[in-house]
Amino acid sequence: MTMPGAFEPSPVANYLPTTAIIEEAENFTARDRYFRLSLERPLGHRPGQFVMVSVFGLGEAPISISNPPGDAPTLEMVIRNAGSLTQVLHSYGPGDAIGLRGPYGHGFDLHDFLGRDVLFICGGLGLAPLRSLIRAVIDRRGEFGRVMVISGCRTPAEEIYRPDLTAWAERGDVDIVRLVDNAANMPWKGRVGLVTEPIAGLKLDPAETVVAMCGPPVMYKFVLLELAGAGINGDRVFVDLERRMRCGVGKCGHCQINDIYCCQDGPVFRFSEIAHLKEAFL
Amino acid sequence: MKDTEKPKPKIAFFDFAGCEGCQLALLNCEDVVLDLLELVDIVEFREALSEKAHRYDISFIEGSINREEDAQRLRDIRARSKYVVALGACACMGNVQARSNFVAPAENFAVVYGEEARNRVQTDREYWPLWAHTRVRSVDEVVPVDYQLRGCPMIPEEFLSLVKSLLAGSIPFFPPKPVCVECKMNCNECVFDQGRTCMGQVTYAGCNAVCINNGYVCDGCRGLLPGANLDAHRQLLRESGLTDAQIESRYRLFCSQAETKHTGQ
Amino acid sequence: MISYLADERRVIQWIRHLAAETPVFFPMPHGKVNFRFERVDEASELQFARYRPTIIAPNSFLTPTKEEIFKYQRVGPGRYELTPAVETTFQILAGVRPCDLKAIKLMDDVFADGERDPYYFQRRTNTSLIGYACPAPCDEMAYCESAGSLDWRDGVDVMLTPVGDRMLIQAYTERGEALTASGDFDPCDDPDAELQRHLDERPKPFGRQLHAPVDELPAILERHWDSPLWDQHVERCFSCGTCNLVCPTCYCFDVKDVSALDGSSGSRTRQWDACMLTTFATVAGGHNFRADPAARQRHRVKRKFQYLNERYDSGAFCVGCARCGRQCTTGIDIFDIVNDIVDHDRAAAGGAS
Repeated sequence: MTMPGAFEPSPVANYLPTTAIIEEAENFTARDRYFRLSLERPLGHRPGQFVMVSVFGLGEAPISISNPPGDAPTLEMVIRNAGSLTQVLHSYGPGDAIGLRGPYGHGFDLHDFLGRDVLFICGGLGLAPLRSLIRAVIDRRGEFGRVMVISGCRTPAEEIYRPDLTAWAERGDVDIVRLVDNAANMPWKGRVGLVTEPIAGLKLDPAETVVAMCGPPVMYKFVLLELAGAGINGDRVFVDLERRMRCGVGKCGHCQINDIYCCQDGPVFRFSEIAHLKEAFL
Repeated sequence: MKDTEKPKPKIAFFDFAGCEGCQLALLNCEDVVLDLLELVDIVEFREALSEKAHRYDISFIEGSINREEDAQRLRDIRARSKYVVALGACACMGNVQARSNFVAPAENFAVVYGEEARNRVQTDREYWPLWAHTRVRSVDEVVPVDYQLRGCPMIPEEFLSLVKSLLAGSIPFFPPKPVCVECKMNCNECVFDQGRTCMGQVTYAGCNAVCINNGYVCDGCRGLLPGANLDAHRQLLRESGLTDAQIESRYRLFCSQAETKHTGQ
Repeated sequence: MISYLADERRVIQWIRHLAAETPVFFPMPHGKVNFRFERVDEASELQFARYRPTIIAPNSFLTPTKEEIFKYQRVGPGRYELTPAVETTFQILAGVRPCDLKAIKLMDDVFADGERDPYYFQRRTNTSLIGYACPAPCDEMAYCESAGSLDWRDGVDVMLTPVGDRMLIQAYTERGEALTASGDFDPCDDPDAELQRHLDERPKPFGRQLHAPVDELPAILERHWDSPLWDQHVERCFSCGTCNLVCPTCYCFDVKDVSALDGSSGSRTRQWDACMLTTFATVAGGHNFRADPAARQRHRVKRKFQYLNERYDSGAFCVGCARCGRQCTTGIDIFDIVNDIVDHDRAAAGGAS
């Protein structure tokens, strides 16, 4: 029966990954592997956005974008071996192909940071998404006030993007504080402690400072308390949150935090806008 | 998406105390078994082949471990295997034969070998070897197990999904959810709406609720779901008219071994 | 809008006539006490009077429990050809009650939001809805009037409204007019009078009543985030997800690949998921953002009565069909949970004044 209003749908691009080729891969830590991919065209992303990475037969996983926006058809990311898909990705190297769709989500807006003192607080793998913003800020260093990075991880063996942290420190115009929870008898020139500890010593100017942070779920509450103690308003703090995501387009329901969808409304949020959400922080 | 040539993995099947129904369940999917042979070398498949090899990539263990000599054989298999997979309810949790763990050995002997065996197993040396049968064990009580393929019999789709994962170098994942999920998706009428009782709420899914789809109820052959709300389930069975003894029996049909492990008996 | 009148026998003949040409699905008895939407064939016994909400809601015809979204086929090293799923079979869902009609309209909103979902809409556009207005509550559990879905018509192609021993047949869309043209029904000159008669014949109040109007529930629920009631109402919960799976406005899904043995081909699928299941909010690193069953229950209740209606600026996402309470083996009923919270809220307000 042909009915009024019935239609023949045309092929659709939703959910269809495109192919990207790995150009460079390197193990940052025992469980975190860095990838640089070449794409057919630039991603056109904003810092803090993510992509859905596919291996056909195993499915998809949301992965943060590590490189700053730009014209290069390149994607950098760090993938932690934490499941059936990522375990297989850890065996991939240069020349191998993976599927990609995105970018998705609401990232950082550089305008929120321009002309301000900028503090980045990164815990563990949280440096991976924040690097996209740190690099964007450093590329236009003259347009910001102080630039400070606190980067912490559990042990020296778990630090990612070491060459970047070293290079940023050597510039002289970026304050870098590297910490571990426990030096674990390994060589370590940085500090030992939690990412909350250096905040007070930075002598932040509450009127001028904007903060971007990302880390494991337990980190947020303590950092937010410390920032509040330093007089930084919630509207100057941007948090990048992790949730389970299966679709990336606000349909599958997994990333919901109270009434918002992390994949669409986030993963980057202005803290003052989600401070009331009971499920946002532990 | 990675394309590299690897030697064919060797997979092997070993029988212990069981009905070999799990291997039959697999052999019944002839088309898939032929595809599988393209990708792996099957050794020690007693039901299909009689070849033997010394090292195995994946060893599938069928049946429960009832005697010490079986345990020795299993330890040897473990030492020669990259992955050990418990295949089916007997291997995963002792299955119905583990119910005998709840009965004093002498009682069991009396039931099986006659009343006169009750005391003779203690007094007559000829009978002493029977003591080796006094406790039915699951595979993981004897050696470390990498994966469990649950069910009586095991589900061929799960077997294939595990083999696919291991061939792809991935970690197989079987989400912890109860049978109700699959049962509802099949739009089945709840067994309790029919005045019958079901173990589905506390049983590991993955079988696609095959028993309920076919008009039966879930007896829990895939084992208790970790963290299942057993108190609420027992209360539900009570409200559905079962006595406490009947509830115990319902639980012990397949889940006895798991239950003793949970309670540390 | 074109309106007709006919007795039920003629309407059923018409549905059989439609079913001869097109797949038509109609709620039919299943098992001891339940109903399912099943395909109408010559042997089907069609009737309207006896009904209880189907085990699974008719939204499963628009978002199947397991749905292929594309096929993949390896065509070279690392190179795959992708073929999106196309589903253009025309189908008719008949005898759909107003609660489910509203649910379908809400699903239209959800899948149109942001990136419009092509897989949903290719089915939705090829699905005709023939609604049936309930003359009485389907059983003692329904609370559709209280949830605001009893008089829902939006999205329907044809609405059947029982009036006395006849039915008012109204074609709401062009497609509905095409469908009813084959019905050989008598024209109805004054449908408003017939509708009024239907309303007059209906019991009042209709079904169970929530203890507060649904538009007050978001504020009430917001005041009781930490209520011990959330814990009490999951004492007997199995976290089995049945309440989600039978809900006409639950649409959460997982994405999974189903591949051939050698991995060279397969399909990517969407499969229903349920927020009451223990690992629904667990991320790859192992952290579970809703590990506690009470937190999951609260999330489910707030999704139905607060989060989604606020997000989509619609009415409550709970349509009052009561499937969740009916299908829960331990009888956990979202109607009771909400009323319990409302009662505590009222009691607290009373105590404070």
